[in-house]
Amino acid sequence: MTVARHLMAKEWSALGASILAGLVVLSLMSPAFLTEFNLYVMLRSFCVVLVVAFAQMLTLGVGQLNLSIGALGGLVAIAVGGVMEKLGFPIGLAVVLGLLIGAGGGLANGLLTVRTGINGFIITLATASVFAGINLGVTRSIPFYNLPPAFVAFGTERFFAVPYLLAPPLVVAAALGFFLARTVPGRYLLAVGGNPQAAELSGIPRDRTIVFAHTLSGLLAAVAAILAVAQLGSAQPTIGADWLIISFAAPIIGGAALTGGHISVAATSLAVVLIVLIQNGMVLAKVDPYWVQFLLGALILAAVGLNRLRAVHAETA
Amino acid sequence: MRKLRDGMRFAVENVRKTFPGVIALDGVSLDIRPGEVHALVGENGAGKSTLIKIVTGLYRPDEGRLTIDGREVRFASAREAIAAGVSAVHQERNLIPRFSVGENIMIERPPTRRGLIDYRSVHAQARRFLDMIDPSIDTRTEVRRLSVAQMQIVEIAKALSFEAGLLLLDEPTASISGHEAEELFAVLRRLKDEGKAILFVSHKLEEVLALSDRVTALRDGKVAIAGEPIGRMDRGRIVSAMIGREERVADIGARDLSGEPVLEATAIATSLGHRNVSLTLHKGEILGLYGLVGAGRTELARALIGDARITAGVLRLKGSPVSIDNVSQAIRKLGIGYISEDRKAEGLILAHPVRSNVAITVWRRIMSRVGLLWRRREIETAEPLARKLEIRTPSLEQTVGKLSGGNQQKVSIAKWLAAGVEILIIDEPTVGIDIKTKTAIHELIAEITRGGVSVLLISSDMPEMITLADRILVMRNFSIAGLIENNRRYEPMSREIMSLIHGVAAGEDADAMREAANG
Amino acid sequence: MTRSVPAGVESFRSWLLEQSNLLSLAAIVGLLWAVFTALAPGFVSSFNLFAISRSVAIDIVIAFSTMVVLATGGMNLAIGSIGVCSVMLVGYLMQAHGLPVPLALAAGLVLGALLGFANGATIVLTGVNSFIITLASASLFAGGMLILTKATIYNGIPREIASFGRMRWGFVSPLLLIALAIGAWLLVLFRYTALGREILASGANPRAAELSGVPVGRVTVIVHALSGLLAASAGLMVMTWLGAAMPSVGQDWLLPSFLAPVLGGTLLAGGMVSVVGTVLGALLVTTIRSGLLILQVGNFWLQLFLGLVLLVAVMLDRYRGLYAERRGLERSP
Repeated sequence: MTVARHLMAKEWSALGASILAGLVVLSLMSPAFLTEFNLYVMLRSFCVVLVVAFAQMLTLGVGQLNLSIGALGGLVAIAVGGVMEKLGFPIGLAVVLGLLIGAGGGLANGLLTVRTGINGFIITLATASVFAGINLGVTRSIPFYNLPPAFVAFGTERFFAVPYLLAPPLVVAAALGFFLARTVPGRYLLAVGGNPQAAELSGIPRDRTIVFAHTLSGLLAAVAAILAVAQLGSAQPTIGADWLIISFAAPIIGGAALTGGHISVAATSLAVVLIVLIQNGMVLAKVDPYWVQFLLGALILAAVGLNRLRAVHAETA
Repeated sequence: MRKLRDGMRFAVENVRKTFPGVIALDGVSLDIRPGEVHALVGENGAGKSTLIKIVTGLYRPDEGRLTIDGREVRFASAREAIAAGVSAVHQERNLIPRFSVGENIMIERPPTRRGLIDYRSVHAQARRFLDMIDPSIDTRTEVRRLSVAQMQIVEIAKALSFEAGLLLLDEPTASISGHEAEELFAVLRRLKDEGKAILFVSHKLEEVLALSDRVTALRDGKVAIAGEPIGRMDRGRIVSAMIGREERVADIGARDLSGEPVLEATAIATSLGHRNVSLTLHKGEILGLYGLVGAGRTELARALIGDARITAGVLRLKGSPVSIDNVSQAIRKLGIGYISEDRKAEGLILAHPVRSNVAITVWRRIMSRVGLLWRRREIETAEPLARKLEIRTPSLEQTVGKLSGGNQQKVSIAKWLAAGVEILIIDEPTVGIDIKTKTAIHELIAEITRGGVSVLLISSDMPEMITLADRILVMRNFSIAGLIENNRRYEPMSREIMSLIHGVAAGEDADAMREAANG
Repeated sequence: MTRSVPAGVESFRSWLLEQSNLLSLAAIVGLLWAVFTALAPGFVSSFNLFAISRSVAIDIVIAFSTMVVLATGGMNLAIGSIGVCSVMLVGYLMQAHGLPVPLALAAGLVLGALLGFANGATIVLTGVNSFIITLASASLFAGGMLILTKATIYNGIPREIASFGRMRWGFVSPLLLIALAIGAWLLVLFRYTALGREILASGANPRAAELSGVPVGRVTVIVHALSGLLAASAGLMVMTWLGAAMPSVGQDWLLPSFLAPVLGGTLLAGGMVSVVGTVLGALLVTTIRSGLLILQVGNFWLQLFLGLVLLVAVMLDRYRGLYAERRGLERSP
């Protein structure tokens, strides 16, 4: 096997090449690209997207999908903002409450999917509507603006180009990579996604693993929501409304199979880098923001096509 | 490090299991001793799979009990059965494709250090279990890169890693070649000599006779042969116990072999890897296609119906060259039909009624000019065929999924008769069909050829092949190894076929060695 | 072949069992109408009936757009995007180029069918799950539309459009009749045409259908084109209501588009559709929406209710399925 083919076989090689090309082109095209401030802006927008992508990646890993990540995120965002503004909760308590709501929502998704045996698509479509409904019913679309200054500061302050906000996503990424590679529940999760019957007959508690994956997914949606509140400086009820496509885009561009069992923290992270790079390029080139939406769709199709080519290639080789 | 458990004596005593309206098992007993291979046989619906599920903890018996070394045990789940030392290698492949061999073997309780998986000892321990049966497999290989036979070895290693005292193998040779099956049996004999108890479930009676020490047969949920030593058994006795009477050989009537050639392939190659395949099928003939699993028989059928491309050579239909681009063209223009061995996934639409399943091939022919399709016209198509083929169904509106396997197969044949095909490729016509119905299907196949249909018969069932085929083509490695005129005498015919396959297999080894030598 | 004697009784019983879903759905709708009327007599005012008829018409067509794809076991997440693309094209052609109304509408429908065709062709060529393809194309289509139109609202379109939207025949909008006519046509398609049966066969078991001579790839493409055409129709119906072409059309279609077919008993796995059930499902969705509105519960809670309805429906369906299975087992031997 030649080096080139070896690289081709790695899912993330095309991603790495695209990112490098993007970096080179953008730095040549725009002097503003490599400035400290622009790097800060990019890293900052990287944070929420990364955790959203991980939230979807976990459900894909176990062979499920989760349409409710955005709606659950929105609910967590207004809950965290609301208890801080209206009830004067300390930051720590509010964050814990938010995480609990996220995990609880995920747990509900998991239990409903497993107990009814119905397609996770329909279940999470329904719960997404429930979460969004509670959000809108409670807030009537009015955001919470008066958040503790320390919380808002965390979302804006930086160390040179590195925003403080980047710390939680990096911790999550490392923990997740470690969890999936080295812990028993992590391996169970991938085993169930890879071959559910086999996992069950090998004595792995299949239903419990699926519920667990959904719960983690909900928890990560909550993390993303809290980061988004800190980033925006206010708890907007619309947080999460545009997460659906991006949550699938990153893991799929990163090569996750929808059939489950095949996900990668590194590849998903690289895909998020690419997406953020494209968004930033659009801003620097001063094109319509609508192009981002268009390109995201095109990028998913390109990734899918590339995977297909690779599969055909592997079959004939 | 885990220790290997000695073999154990496992007994099922007077077990009864009912489902709403069905008595699946009625006072069934079975006892398996350490150091023996105990075969379990029975027709579909005899209760075999229910018994397997009770032994492996998936079902609980209504009455009766299970004992291990004389002590009663109860399993609430598959997990508990495994913990008690009962491990199964199921019919479906039960491995995680993207995990390594080692991790698959140790999957249920991987060795950990401080809560984290310790991959070094995962591989070391897996190695130990694998070495007992096949040291040539690397524990770091991803399972999806293994052959089916290697996966089976991994599954057995995995079962051993559960400290199994009783190893249950459910149709282990269903998807591996004869050569690989021999190697598997050698492994099983060695495990038996080490004192394991082995329960071997198979419908291939030749294998049962060759491998097991004792046999238990079930019929209609009751024991028909109770753990008799194999020395006192022969094929005929086992079969008559299973079906409750003597086996009747199909009467296929007089054969007329003077038909014109209808399908001629000359040195064709396919996108699936066939090379230089030539065959001639005559009108009204049954041409057998025999070979090991993986010899390329089903794949050849797929190329002939346009589901895969023919890349070289000439295909003639009644003398004139044709090319086959897709399945619907093969059916409508060329009159070639295909009955898949996998009725459930590829043959029938189980959720749809008998009527639609028969008429599906002619929908476009019987629809009105504006595309309307009347139920009446479908019934007109299906009714006479259902009568002629004696399909047993309460009505044509019955969903096919509720019919027995034999009647489902008759529906498959009926839909091709409805389409009026002249050439029918039948892949494993009686797989999963009980012995009583098998004979009827054989006679039906012979019957349709007398009506002028030519049949290309793919079967791995040697007696079936020798009963039905007029001539037998032996395939190996995606090409034709030889052609035998069938005189329908089992002994000489099977010897001739096996020697063709055997000679060929030796050649393959030589090829492999030459390749290895050339690097 | 053997026929059991009381076939008539047996088939009536199984017909009843089959229809139990529709009957219970109709009963629920009836009950809700009674409740809403009792709580707010304005619910059955002629104005509200007209409003309901107009919005149920749109819900029905949106639901059909998803239903036809569900028949093949696929899904189409791009219906909202396709609908808005058609609407914006029609608005642009009429306002910027003064194209006659029928021509512009025809162009919108053709665009819908073409976008659906593109979806279907991509799914067949790549062999990738329709979920992913249509998720991506939804983003692609909507993004493309926004780039081209710069999110302009075309409100200078001919008045006939808006007046058609306001037109009343008795209590009902003519849009409802259009929706029901489409429904009747789909009923015939799925029950009495070879194409419809091929669609269902492809959904129930694609491999078996292919090997029986059904051109499954072509059927998939046709179904997606049909879905696109229906999505475009729904978009244009919304446009008559708004009296303008707005880029926000179709954004909230996803949930109702699945809700109605699933409530009506169409299987997600494919191979089975219920046109009547889908119409009833859409009626339930509209009833809840209109009832909450008239009770002044507020639009904000609507989503919560719809989500809960879907959850309850799928759970009921599950238990009904288990019950039928048990009954089936009892009868089989």
